[in-house]
Amino acid sequence: MTPWRRPLTWALIAAIAVTLVLAGAGAFTARAADPIKIGFGMALTGGLSANGKPALLAVQIWKDDVNRKGGLLGRPVELVFYDDQTNPSTVPGIYTKLLDVDKVDLIISGYGTNLIAPLMPIAMERKLTIIGMFGLANNEKYQYPNYFQIQPAGPDPQTSTAIGFFELAAKQNPKPQTVALVGADAEYPQNAMVGARELVKKFGFKIVYDKNYPPSTVDYTPIVRAIKATNPDIVFVASYPPDSVGMLRATHEVGLSPKIYGGGMVGLQFTSVMQSMGPMLNGVVNYDFWAPESTMLAMPGIKEFLKDYQARAEKAGVDPLGYYLPPYSYALMQVLGQAVEGSKGLDQQKIADYIRASEFSTVVGKVKFGKNGEWAKGRTLMVQYQKIRPMASEKETIEQFRGPGKKIVLYPDELKSGTIIYPYSAAKN
Amino acid sequence: MTRMGWSVLVGIAVIAAGIGLASLRVNPYVYFAGYVILQYVVIATAWNILGGYAGYVNFGTPAFFALGAYAAVFLIRSIKAPLPVLIVAGGLVAALLGLGIGYLTLRLRGTFFSIATLALSVVLQTMIINWEYVGGSRGISVLRPSGPPFGSYVTFLFTVMVALAVVAVLAARFIERSWIGRGLAALRDNEEAAECMGVPTLRLKLFATTVSGFFLGVAGAPFPYYVTFVEPNSAFALDYAVNALAMPMIGGTTSWVGPVVGAVLLGTASQVATVTISSELNLLIVGVVLVAFVVLAPEGLVGLVRRLRGR
Repeated sequence: MTPWRRPLTWALIAAIAVTLVLAGAGAFTARAADPIKIGFGMALTGGLSANGKPALLAVQIWKDDVNRKGGLLGRPVELVFYDDQTNPSTVPGIYTKLLDVDKVDLIISGYGTNLIAPLMPIAMERKLTIIGMFGLANNEKYQYPNYFQIQPAGPDPQTSTAIGFFELAAKQNPKPQTVALVGADAEYPQNAMVGARELVKKFGFKIVYDKNYPPSTVDYTPIVRAIKATNPDIVFVASYPPDSVGMLRATHEVGLSPKIYGGGMVGLQFTSVMQSMGPMLNGVVNYDFWAPESTMLAMPGIKEFLKDYQARAEKAGVDPLGYYLPPYSYALMQVLGQAVEGSKGLDQQKIADYIRASEFSTVVGKVKFGKNGEWAKGRTLMVQYQKIRPMASEKETIEQFRGPGKKIVLYPDELKSGTIIYPYSAAKN
Repeated sequence: MTRMGWSVLVGIAVIAAGIGLASLRVNPYVYFAGYVILQYVVIATAWNILGGYAGYVNFGTPAFFALGAYAAVFLIRSIKAPLPVLIVAGGLVAALLGLGIGYLTLRLRGTFFSIATLALSVVLQTMIINWEYVGGSRGISVLRPSGPPFGSYVTFLFTVMVALAVVAVLAARFIERSWIGRGLAALRDNEEAAECMGVPTLRLKLFATTVSGFFLGVAGAPFPYYVTFVEPNSAFALDYAVNALAMPMIGGTTSWVGPVVGAVLLGTASQVATVTISSELNLLIVGVVLVAFVVLAPEGLVGLVRRLRGR
């Protein structure tokens, strides 16, 4: 061995030792006296982190709000959370750690269908109450009675996305006749397509185009051209974020102008996508869960929450508006908090019984759970993007979306905040 | 008693200790974390049979692992096969794939072989995404069978993994010390020279790829019951490729001890890091440690110890 190598060798060993000690140090942080601990994994890195981070912030805001009011059952609330890396295989380990090492009193799920799925057997084995954060039909197979879902898809997830879209289309004058259905060959879009076909039959439209495209598609113009050739009145698109953007761009390039366009495009709800698409969104009628419209802002507590959220989001560098997931994440915690107070304890079964039996008042409105733990009555919104103007900077583009008037709620009737611009071409420009 | 006999005896003792630990019913988290670490012992050992002994660097670890996992998913869904059947079947399917890439080595060597294995993973993932029966791109939930032999199902899986790790390590040790190991070492150093000396290189390479594939598949087979939800992105995760390579590198690729030491060290560190610090740092640890070792201790910890002792 050359002499210069020896110190380096020791330096290497020391470096590894320090790394391991640093890694271990986090485990021994001091704990406050007797708090109620709520544990969860959350997508803070990986594919879903753009929504996972805002969701975490919403949960943290709830914790601060509750602690300011004296906590739950007179005890302070503490959050214990780990990054699940948007990777389902980390979930069993994380929740076992939460339950057996951190000894949390309550758990909630992470964000998204795929990260709730591996949590189900754990919750069932230990008879825990769990509230899911935006998972589609997670409980259909298990029918576990102590599972609840905060996403307002309702008891029939397959048609929940499309129903508002087709109901609106059927009401227009002149009534559209022909439909083009197009969707990505992936889980959610295919479910939505099945629901859409059912609704097309129900409302008596005629299908002129019904095709899937692979999720890896890069160029959407051939698809849109093929749709244009059939000259449909209605174009229903079921897509994931990358293809939603691709389809919409191609629609503008090719000049496709049906009477009503959109439906089940995931991603257009996200602030980052709204920012990049800007005026191209005009006229699109799409599903959503929340919009800063008067009808939605009328719900108690939401204004205060958003004010707090938007101030903190800027500092944390996450979604500056927080209009998609955060209100529901906060509502989820409200349900859990009210159930703990209502059942006067931390007994998992009693909490579940309470949640099943009660109606909750949250920042997203009154919530009542029904079959399979879904909302007893679905409340997927249909919104139309209107009057979005091209802006010089990205910051100004975002600012447009902060207030009402850009994302008009058209469906359901009780939350309606404006009227549809029909046909699509009239709103497009 | 022969040396082989002794090592089998030690192996049995380790399995017994594993069962003992499982019946102790300490904190269940230990079994969860232990399962992952042991899974990496199997993966690292299997990788090393091809990558360490024969010198063929395989970046396609996720393909073999996921193939084992998906073979299990298929059998669970179609005939509700019991766990031992899953493990054997997962191993055999992956071994078949291993045999296939073994023939690739006829034409592809060095970097080109590695690139081909990388492509293998992509191709296989695309196929799984388009195969609806095993969940396609959306993934599939797997219900654990009720009534495991002892305690919870996870302690059972943990014991199974202990046994699998012992078998894999024993197999690697046997290969290393037999004429096969010497033949593989010869072709690692110089394939042409080995061939000229009468080493049956093709047969040895086929053997190494098959056995390596078999154990990678075996490691993947219990995975569906561990996570209870299998979807392509986590089954084909890049982590497996990186760790399968990093663990033997850190431990030392020339001996069966290396992958075990590397897997235990790195596996433990990443388990601790996942639940203490952010996971981005977790990958950083693997990266930094790997770079440090490749630069400062190319023969891994085993080589380092040998060098320090040899002075």
